[in-house]
Amino acid sequence: MRLEHIVLHNLRRRKGRAIFLVVGLLIGVATVVTLLSLTDALGQLAQQEIENFGANIIITPHSDQLALSYGGIQLGGVSLVAREIKQSSLANIDAIPNRRNVATIAPKVLGAVDVDGQRVMMMGVDPSAEFKIKRWWSIAGRPVQQGRELVVGDEIARRFNLDMGDTLEIESQEYTVVGLLAKTGSQDDQLMIAPLPVAQAVLGKQGMVSMVEIAALCHDCPVDDMVSQLQQVLPGVDVQAVQQVVKTRMHALGQFRLFAWGVAVTVVIIGALLVFVTMMGAISERTREIGIFRAIGYRRRHVLHMVLMEAAVVSALAGVLGYLTGVAATLAALPLLDGGKAAWQWNPTRAVAAVIAAVCVGLIASLQPALRASRLEPSEALRAL
Amino acid sequence: MSLITLEQVTKRYINGADCVTALQEMSLCVDEGTFLGIMGPSGSGKSTLLSVLGGLTSPTSGSVNIDGIDVYWLSAEKQADFRREYLGFIFQSHNLIPYLNALENVMLPLVVTKFSTAEKRKRANAMLDRVGMSDRMLHLPQQLSGGEQERVALARSLVNNPPLLLADEPTGSLDSTTSKQVMNLLSELHQDGQTVIMVTHNRENLEWFDRTIYLRDGLIEKDTDVVPGTLSRAM
Repeated sequence: MRLEHIVLHNLRRRKGRAIFLVVGLLIGVATVVTLLSLTDALGQLAQQEIENFGANIIITPHSDQLALSYGGIQLGGVSLVAREIKQSSLANIDAIPNRRNVATIAPKVLGAVDVDGQRVMMMGVDPSAEFKIKRWWSIAGRPVQQGRELVVGDEIARRFNLDMGDTLEIESQEYTVVGLLAKTGSQDDQLMIAPLPVAQAVLGKQGMVSMVEIAALCHDCPVDDMVSQLQQVLPGVDVQAVQQVVKTRMHALGQFRLFAWGVAVTVVIIGALLVFVTMMGAISERTREIGIFRAIGYRRRHVLHMVLMEAAVVSALAGVLGYLTGVAATLAALPLLDGGKAAWQWNPTRAVAAVIAAVCVGLIASLQPALRASRLEPSEALRAL
Repeated sequence: MSLITLEQVTKRYINGADCVTALQEMSLCVDEGTFLGIMGPSGSGKSTLLSVLGGLTSPTSGSVNIDGIDVYWLSAEKQADFRREYLGFIFQSHNLIPYLNALENVMLPLVVTKFSTAEKRKRANAMLDRVGMSDRMLHLPQQLSGGEQERVALARSLVNNPPLLLADEPTGSLDSTTSKQVMNLLSELHQDGQTVIMVTHNRENLEWFDRTIYLRDGLIEKDTDVVPGTLSRAM
C-alpha cells in the first residue's frame, strides 16, 4: 500500500465531492476549449476567405498624379495618360522571396471600344486566374476561354439587349456572348470581358497589361513585405496592398479572440475558487483523519502530498473530460456559425495544454488548503488524545 | 532502566483571557516494561499527559525524554519520525480510517516506511493474527463491532514494533466482556516486555497495572510506585 492507494480510496469514498469538483472544473475547461476552438476555426475560415476571395495586392503603372475619382465619380480636367505594364516583366514576380505566398496572378488590360456608336470599357483577362479570384462573380453561361468570346456585365447586357449566344460587332469583328455577369453593384456591371490576347489585339496593346491583381496567401507573411518585394522586382509600377477588408475582418476576429480569452480567464478563476472552497471544506471535514495520520508518524510533506495528489487526480480527470466536452460543444456549435463553413481541426497541443492547465489550476487552488492540512498540529486535530 | 523521564513539565492552555494549567511542574520516570495506569477525574490532566508523552503536544516548560531522546528538541518532521518509530497509539474512539479495510488500516503506519508492499502486508497480517482479527481483515471499520475495531486499532499501534504503547481509555466504549478481552491482549503484550501507558476511568482495570498514578489538578496525587508521604512535585 502506498500514499496513492489512500488517495484513491478516499476519492472513491467521497464520490459526491469528487464528482462536484470534476464537474466544476470540467465546465471551466470545456468552456475555454470551446471558445478557443471556435475562435481558431472562425479565424482559419476568415483566412481562407481572404485568400480565396479577391486580390489583396494591386499592381498599376506608376503615376505621379493623384487620383481624382471616388466611388466611380471622375472629376473633370484630369489628364489621363494611359500607361501600361509590360506583360513580360510579370515573370519577375517569380523571383521574390515570398513567391510561395503568391496564389494567383491576374493580369488584365483595359481600354475603350466602340459598340454601336457608344464607348464601352473592355477588359481582357487571363480566364483561369481572373475567374478564380473573382469568386463572387455569378455568371449565367460560362467564363470566356479563348477566341472572340465575351462575358458582359449586367448594365451592358441591358443597354445592348444582349443574351447568351448573341453576337456583337466590335471594331468590325464579331464576338459571341458566352456568359452574362449577374449584377454586382460595382464597375464590373459596365464591363465587357474578353480573353487577354483578344483584348490586347483589339485595343492595340499587344504584350501590355493595364494592371495586375495578386491574391497572396498571407497567413504567415506580412503583406507589406510582399509589397516591397514586388516593388523591387517591378520597377516603374505602383504596388499597393488592399488591406481594408483584411484588416476589418482581422480586427473583428481579434476582438472575438480577446473576448474569448476574457471569458476563459474568468471561467478559470471561478474554477480555481470552486476548487479552493471545496478543498478547504474537505480539509475541515478531514481534520480528525489528518490528525490520525500525523499521530502515527506521517510527516507534514506526506499530508501535503496526499492532498495535492487528490487535487491532481480530480483535475486531470476534469481536464480530459473537459477537453472532450469542449470538442463536442465546438462540433455542435460550428454548423450554427458563419454558414457552417468553419471546420474543427484537431490540435494536439490544445488537448495536452487543457489537461496540464486543469491540473495546474487544481494544484494552485489546492496549495493553501494542502498547506493548512499539513500544518495541522496532531494534538489540535485529535481532541480525543 | 527508565524508558521515560519527564522533568518539571508544565502545560498551560491559553484561550483568550483564560489560562488553564493542565500539568504543573510534573516529574515522572517510567521503567521499560512497565504497565502504567493513569487515573483521575475529568480535567485532571490525564489526556494532556498522554499527549505530551506521545510527542503530540509540546509542554510550556520542562523536558520529555524517551529512550534517551529529548522529544521536543526535535523538529516537527523528526517528531513525526519519532512517533512512527517509537510510539504506538490507541485512541479512545478507535480512530480507524473509514474507507480502508482492517488490513489497510493496520498497514497505515508502514505506508511511509521503506518496507516493500509484500513486507508491509506480511507484518500487518501477522499483527491482525495476533489480535485474532485475521478472518476479518477485509472488512471496513463500519462492518466491525466496537471490540473488533479496538483490536484492529491495537494491531495498527503495534505494527511498527514500537518500544512504547500509549492507550487513551481503550475500553471506555466497550462492554465488560470485550473490555476484558482487550485488557487481556494488553496484558499479554506487557508480559512480552512491552511498555504500556494507559489512561482509564475504570477502577476494574487497576488489577492489570503494575503501577498506577492518580492525577488531580495537573499534579500527581498518588503514585503506587512511591512510598506514601514521599511524593513530591520535583523528583
